[in-house]
Amino acid sequence: MSPPQLYACLYVKEFTAQALLRLRPELREKPCAVMEGEPPLQQVCSLNAKARRMGVLTGMTQVEMETFPAVTLLPRSIQEETATRMALLECAGSFTPRVEEASTERAFLCVLDIAGTEKLFGPADTFAEKLKNHVKALGITASVAVSQNFHAAICLARGMSSRTTVTVIPAGAESAALAPLPLSVLALSEEHAEKFALWGIRTLGTLAALPENDLIARMGQEGKRLRQLALGNLPHLFLPVEPTSTLEEYRELDSPLEILDSLLFVVGVMLEQLILRATSRMLALAALTIVLRLEAGGSHTRTVRPALPTNDRQFWIKLLHLDLEAHPPQAPILSLALTAEPGSTSKVQLGLFSPQLPEPGRLDVTLARIRAIVGEECVGRAVLRDTHQPNEFRMEPFTVGAKNGAEISCTQPRVALRQFRPPEKISVTLQNERPTSFFLQKKRYIIEKAYGPWRTSGDWWNPELWNVEQWDLVAHSADGSLLCGCVARDVARNCWEMVALYD
Amino acid sequence: MTERYVELHAASAFSFLEGASQPEGLVERAVELGMPAIGLTDRNGVYGSARFHTSAKRNSVRAHIGAEIAVSSFGSRLTPPAWLPHQHVSEPVRLPVLCESPTGYQNLCQLITQFKMREPNKCEGAATIEDLQQHATGLVCLTGGDEGPLAAALVAGGETAGRKIVEQITEIFGRENVYVELQRHQEREEEWRNQAAIRIARALKLPVLATNGVRYAMEYDRQILDVFTAIRHHTELDQAGRLLALNNQRYLRSAKEMASLFRDVPHAIQNSVELSSRLTFALDDLGYEFPRYPVPEGDTMDSFLRKRVAEGVARRYEPKKNQHLLERAKKQVEHELTLVAKLGFAGYFLIVWDIIQFCKSHDILVQCRGSAANSAVCYALEITAIDPVGMELLFERFLSESRGEWPDIDLDLPSVDKREQAIQYVYQRYGELGAAMTANVITYRGKSAAREVGKALGFDADTLGRLSSLVSNWEWRGKTDTMAHSFHDAGFDLAHSRIAKYLDLSMRIQSLPRHLGQHSGGMVICQGQLNHVVPLERASMPGRTVVQWDKEDCSDLGIIKVDLLGLGMMAVLKDCLELIPQHYGEPIDLAQLPEDPEVYRTLQQADTVGMFQVESRAQMASLPRNHPEVFYDIVVQVAIIRPGPIVGQMMHPYMRRRQHKEPVSYPHPLLEPVLKRTLGVPLFQEQLLRMAMVVANFSGAEAEELRRAVGMRRSWERMKNLEGKLRSGMTANGLDVTTQNNIIQNISSFALYGFPESHAASFALIAYASAYFKVKYLAAFTCAILNNQPMGFYAPAVLVKDAQRHGLRVRPIDIQISDWACTVEREHDGSLSLRMGLGYAQGLRQQAAEALVASRVRDGRFSSAEDLAQRVPLLNRKELTLLAHIGALNQLDGVEHRRDALWQVERAGKLEGPLFQRNVASLQDDSEGKPLLQMNIEERLIADYAGTGLTVGKHPMHYRRAALQQQHVLSAKELREQKDGNYVRTAGCIVARQRPGTAKGFIFLSMEDETGIANVIVTPDLYERERLVVTRSKFLIVEGPLQNQDGVIHVKATRLMAFSDGALALRSHDFH
Repeated sequence: MSPPQLYACLYVKEFTAQALLRLRPELREKPCAVMEGEPPLQQVCSLNAKARRMGVLTGMTQVEMETFPAVTLLPRSIQEETATRMALLECAGSFTPRVEEASTERAFLCVLDIAGTEKLFGPADTFAEKLKNHVKALGITASVAVSQNFHAAICLARGMSSRTTVTVIPAGAESAALAPLPLSVLALSEEHAEKFALWGIRTLGTLAALPENDLIARMGQEGKRLRQLALGNLPHLFLPVEPTSTLEEYRELDSPLEILDSLLFVVGVMLEQLILRATSRMLALAALTIVLRLEAGGSHTRTVRPALPTNDRQFWIKLLHLDLEAHPPQAPILSLALTAEPGSTSKVQLGLFSPQLPEPGRLDVTLARIRAIVGEECVGRAVLRDTHQPNEFRMEPFTVGAKNGAEISCTQPRVALRQFRPPEKISVTLQNERPTSFFLQKKRYIIEKAYGPWRTSGDWWNPELWNVEQWDLVAHSADGSLLCGCVARDVARNCWEMVALYD
Repeated sequence: MTERYVELHAASAFSFLEGASQPEGLVERAVELGMPAIGLTDRNGVYGSARFHTSAKRNSVRAHIGAEIAVSSFGSRLTPPAWLPHQHVSEPVRLPVLCESPTGYQNLCQLITQFKMREPNKCEGAATIEDLQQHATGLVCLTGGDEGPLAAALVAGGETAGRKIVEQITEIFGRENVYVELQRHQEREEEWRNQAAIRIARALKLPVLATNGVRYAMEYDRQILDVFTAIRHHTELDQAGRLLALNNQRYLRSAKEMASLFRDVPHAIQNSVELSSRLTFALDDLGYEFPRYPVPEGDTMDSFLRKRVAEGVARRYEPKKNQHLLERAKKQVEHELTLVAKLGFAGYFLIVWDIIQFCKSHDILVQCRGSAANSAVCYALEITAIDPVGMELLFERFLSESRGEWPDIDLDLPSVDKREQAIQYVYQRYGELGAAMTANVITYRGKSAAREVGKALGFDADTLGRLSSLVSNWEWRGKTDTMAHSFHDAGFDLAHSRIAKYLDLSMRIQSLPRHLGQHSGGMVICQGQLNHVVPLERASMPGRTVVQWDKEDCSDLGIIKVDLLGLGMMAVLKDCLELIPQHYGEPIDLAQLPEDPEVYRTLQQADTVGMFQVESRAQMASLPRNHPEVFYDIVVQVAIIRPGPIVGQMMHPYMRRRQHKEPVSYPHPLLEPVLKRTLGVPLFQEQLLRMAMVVANFSGAEAEELRRAVGMRRSWERMKNLEGKLRSGMTANGLDVTTQNNIIQNISSFALYGFPESHAASFALIAYASAYFKVKYLAAFTCAILNNQPMGFYAPAVLVKDAQRHGLRVRPIDIQISDWACTVEREHDGSLSLRMGLGYAQGLRQQAAEALVASRVRDGRFSSAEDLAQRVPLLNRKELTLLAHIGALNQLDGVEHRRDALWQVERAGKLEGPLFQRNVASLQDDSEGKPLLQMNIEERLIADYAGTGLTVGKHPMHYRRAALQQQHVLSAKELREQKDGNYVRTAGCIVARQRPGTAKGFIFLSMEDETGIANVIVTPDLYERERLVVTRSKFLIVEGPLQNQDGVIHVKATRLMAFSDGALALRSHDFH
C-alpha cells in the first residue's frame, strides 16, 4: 500500500505586482501597474485588481497609460521578485520540509507535501487557512488548494475564482471537483489547446469523459497524461526544492569601524568560513562581493573577480584590500555582508616548453594594483572602434589572441605623429575662416601654411553627435622655431585644440 | 570673373540606396545654384534619367546622361585598410561614363543590358573589359572618386598601379575621352590620391576634371544617405560604423565653392564646363525606331493593315444591315487609315492586331480599355468591341496628327495565367531584346518608411509591427492622419529625441525609390533594338525582362507600349460563356447581348453586388437617381462616379436633369449637338474636344492639345496661349464674354479629371454583360465570380449571401462532390444550385485537393475517414482536420456531424507502421462511440468563417435577430420602409469601409445582415471619437437619422457601438 499523500498548492496570481506591493503597503489600496521593457517602450506586465477594474490591460504602453492618471506605475524589479519568492519558499518550508516549486514567469506556484502534518497543524482545511494567513502576513494574497493528488491541487489552485481562496478536495472527489474547470488550468501546448478547441472540449470534465484508448490512439501518451490530469489521478514524483545554498556571510559590527585594517581582520574570519563551505563542495571562490552598511545611511558595495577561481585566503584579502583602498567607504561601517560566487577549482596545464608565465594570482594582484591607481576603465588593451570618430577606442581585458598580430602592410610612406594626450587647448585667430595664428603654451605661432579643413562628423541621430574639423599647419613662432602640427576644432562648441605634432 | 562649373558626376536616389535625392531635387538645386548643366551617373543604370531629363528640360538646364558602371575586371573598390575594424564587403569598382552622342547613349544602354542580362536572375552584375571595349564609342569616361578604379589602384599598388589603370582606360575609350577625376570632400585620405592623380594626368597628358561625386542635393540629406546605407547593409546606424559617410560634403556645390576648393587646379573646374559643352547628347534624340511588323511579300505594312481593316469592316458592320452606318464606317476608316499611314503607325496597329489574333486562337478573351475604342480601325481589328461610328465617338481623342506621341492601347485579359500566356507570346515574337516589361519603381511609403527607418534606428520588430499597423492607408487623410499621429497612437513619445528623429526621417524618405519592380502589364516593344534605347535587365520573376524606366518615363520619351492588363471580370465573363451553354443549354454571344428590361430594372434598384464597375457604394447610391434605361445610361453611370465629375461638380447637375428636377440647358446653342447626350453637362473628354472644335473652330489636333495642356498642371504657359486662341475663336463665332467664361470654366474644371467616353463605353460594355449574366444566369455568374477571386469590391462571403438572397441555393464543400473550383449543380427539382469548391477550404493545397478529386473520379465515393486518408495520402493531417472542421466530411458513412469527422480523422491521419495498416479488428477503436458533442450554431459559424471565409448557412445576424428586435434594431430591409429623417437603429456586419478622397473625410460603411446591405455615413467628427470602433469592429450597432432620397438609403450615424461578434473573423474589404 502506498503511503498516504496530501498536497497543498500555494498559488500567487499577478506575482510581479504583488512582489512590488509587498514592501509598499501604502500603495496596496491604490490602482497600480508594473511596467517592463526598455524606455521609451515600456509595457504593462502585471497589475493589481484595482487597476484592472479601471480598464488597464497587460501590454498597454506608457502613452496609453498616460490616459489613466490615477494608476501608479512601478518598474518591474526582478530582485524584489526573487526576494519575495525566497520569502514564500521559506514560509512554505516552515510548514513542511518537502516543497516543490512550479512557478511560471508571471505567477508563483509551489506545492507542499503535507502528508502527516495533521498533528502539527490540524486537518487540511485548517492547514490551508494557516498557510494562507501566514502568506498574508508577508503581504501577499494567495490561494491554497489541498488534494491527495499533486496535479489536482495545482489545477484547482489555478482555476479557483477570486472569491474563494481555500479549497480542500476530499479524497476520491478529485474528478468531480476538477470537472467544471476550464482547460486553461492545464497549461496546454498551443497544438493541444487548438485540438481540444476543435473538439469542443472546454472543461476538464469533458476531457475526462473521453474514452481513454481512443484518446491514446489519437494523441498518444500525452493524451493519456492530460486525461489523467483532468481526472485528478495523474501520479507525480515529488521533487522537493534543494535548500538554496548561497555562499553568504553577514556580520553586524559591534561598533562602527573606520580603519580598513580592522575591517580586513573581520573579513578574514568570514572568508575562512566561506572558503571552508566552498571547499566542502569542491568549489572555489570565483568572485567576492562585499556590502558595507554605512553609518551615514546607504551602503558601499564592491566586487572583486580575479582571472581564476581560488581558495587562497591571503590572496582574496590582498585583492579586497587593494580594491577598498582604491574605493574607500565614505563613512564608518555598521555591518558587512560577504557574498561569494562559487566557481570550479581549476588548474591551468602549461606546455612543457612554453615560456614561464607569471603566476595568475600574482598577475591579478599586480593588475588590481594598477587598476587601483589608474582606474578600472584604463586597464586592458586598446581596441579601435568601427567608427569614423577620431581617436575612438575602447578597452578590452587582456586576452591571449589566437593569431599572431597581423603584419600591417603599407605601401605609402607615412609620417610619424606625436599625439597630445589629452589634446592641448589653443586659441586661434582666423581670417576668411582659415587659421592665421595661434597661441600654444603661451607662445604665439604665425601660420605659414594651413591644409584643410578635413571634416568628419557623425552620430547625428544620437544626442552625442560629433563634428570635427582638422587643419594641418606649418607655423613659426617669434623665436623662429618651426612647428608642424595638427589642430582640431569642435564645430559645435567652436573650441580649438592642438591634437598632434608631426615629426 | 564669376566662376562657372558643371557637376558631371551626380548620383540620385535611383542609385537605389546609394543616393539620397530625387533627380528632380538635383535639378532644382542646380537651378538655384545657377548651374547651366548637370550630369547624372547612377549606379549601373539610367533609371532616373527620364525624370531627370524631363525636369531639366522644364527648367532649361542641360541634362547629361551617364552611369557608373561596375567593372569586375578592375578589381574591388576601395575599402578601409584591414587593420581598421570595418564591415565593408567587396564590390567591383565603378567607372563613371557620360554619353557624348546618341551613339554613346546607345552603347551605354547596350553595355548595361549586356552585363545585366548575362546574369541568370535579378542582380547588380558587372561589366568586363571586353564589354567596355565593345561599347566604348561615344562615351566619355571619368576615373571616378573613391568608388572608382583609380582610387582602388592607388591604394592597392601605389602610383604605378594607378598609372597603369588609367592607361588601360585610355586604351579602351581613347585618349580624348578620358578625364582624370578629382574630388575633394575634405577627407585627408582622399587628398594624397588627388595629388597622385594630378601627377598621373600630367604624365599621361590627360585632362583633369573636378567633380563632387554628388550623392544628395543638400548637406542635410547626408542623414538620409546614412539611413539608406544602414538599410542596404541590413544593419543599424549604431552598428554601421565606417560604412557610413565620413562627413556631409557630397552635396551639390556651387561654382564658387568648387572654385575655392580647387584653387590650386583651376583647369579642373574649367574642364567641367568644356566637357559639358562637348556632351551634345540629350535624351530627346533617343533614336527609338518604330517596330516593324513582318508582312508578306508584295505588301507594305500600310497595305497589309488596309486589307485587314477592310475585312474587319465587313465582318463588323455587314451583320448590322445598316447601309448608312456602313458608309459612315468606311469613310471613318479611310480617314483613320490615312492618318495612320501618314504618321507611320501601321506597324503598331498590326502588332496589337497580332496579339489579338493570338488571344483569339488560344481562347483568351481580350478587350481594350481606354481611348482606342474611339477608333473604327481598332473596332475593325477587333481590338475593341465598342463601335465608335455607331456611338459617334471622337477619333481625335485617340490619335491626332500633332500629338507627337504614340497611341496608347491597353488590353484587358482574364487574369494571371492567360495574361502570362499573352506576355510570353510577345517575348517570343519580338525576341529577348525586342520586348520587355516596363518597370515599376517601388518607393518608400508610410509603412515601409516607418519600418525600415525604425530598423535602422534600432527599434525592435514588435514595436515596428505595432506602428506600421497604425500608419493610415486611407485615401483621404484628415489632419490627425499624419504620421506623427500614428507614432503617438503606437505608444511613442514624440518628445523623446530619438523618436522625433525617427519620425523626421520617416517623413523625409517618403517617395524616394527603394528598388525596381516590374509593372504588372506594361510592355514596350521595339524591333529587336530595345537595348539601344533603354537598358534591359532581369526581373525577379523568371522569364521576364524589364526596362529601366517606368510607364510614365517610357511614355514621356515616346516609347511605344502595350498594356496587357489583367481584369478579373474578363475571366468571369469568359467562365460564364462556358458555363451558360453547358448548364442552361442556351447559346450566348457577348457581342450580341440583348437590351433587357429586367437587367435595367435591377440596375435601377442598385441591386448590383458583384457587377463590374457599378457595385461600389457610391455607384449604388447614384444608380436609383440615374435610373439607367438604355446602354448609354450605363456609359454615363460608369463615368460619372469618378473623382473628376464629383470634384468638377458635374454629377449633381446631371442627376438633377436626369430626374427632371432641372431643365436641360446648354452654355450656347452651338453646343447642343455636342452635349445633348449628357443633358447639357459635359462629362467626357471627347466632349471637351468637340466643344473647342465647335465654338472656337479648333482642329481635332488642337483640341487634343488643349485637353492635354489643361491636364498637365505645369503647362500654364501653353494653356494661356491656347486660352487666347479659344477666346478669339469663340469671339469670331459671336459668343459673348459671359458664355466664353462659362465654357472655359467648364473645360478647365473637369479636364483635369475627365474620363474618355470610349473608356467608359468599354467598361460599360463589361458592366452590362456582368449585370446581364447575374440577372439571367445567377448560378453561372456566382460560380464564375467565386472562381476568380480576389476581385471586385466584396468578399466572397458577401457575394454568396447576396446570391442566396436572390434565390440561389449554395451547397457547402463536400469531398464526395466538390471539385477544386466551385461548380454548378442540378437539383432534383431541376433548378440549378452552386456547389462550393475545395479551393475555398483555406489551407488546403490545390495539389492535395486535385488528388482527392482524381481518386474519387477513379474509385468512387469515400466510405470513411480512414478510406479517405488511405486513398489520398497527399492529404496531411492538418488538411484532414480542416476538411472535417468545415463539414466537408459530413457525407462520409458513420459521420453524423463535424466533430464526429474531427474525431475520426484524428485517428485516420496518423502515420502507422505496415503492421497496423491491415484492417485488423483488434486495432479498431474499441468503442464505437462518438464521444464528441455536435457543434452549436455559433461554433459552426466560427468554423465556417475560419475555414472558408464564408458560410453557406444562415447569416450570423439571423441568429441575433430576436434579441435585436427587442432592442428596436431594424434590419436592412426594414430600413427601406422607413421615412426620410426617422431616427433609426440598425446593426450588421461591416463588409466594406471606404473613405474616398472626394468625400472630405466622411467614411462610408456597408453593413450586411440577413436581409441585405445597409449604408452608413460616419462623419469625420464621429470617426475621430470612435476611430477604433470604426476601423476594428466587425459588427456594429448604428444609430442616427435615416436619409431616404430618391430611393437611396443611408443612416447618418450619430452613435456607434461595437457588439459582440462571437469571435467571428469576418473580413471586410477596405477601400481607400
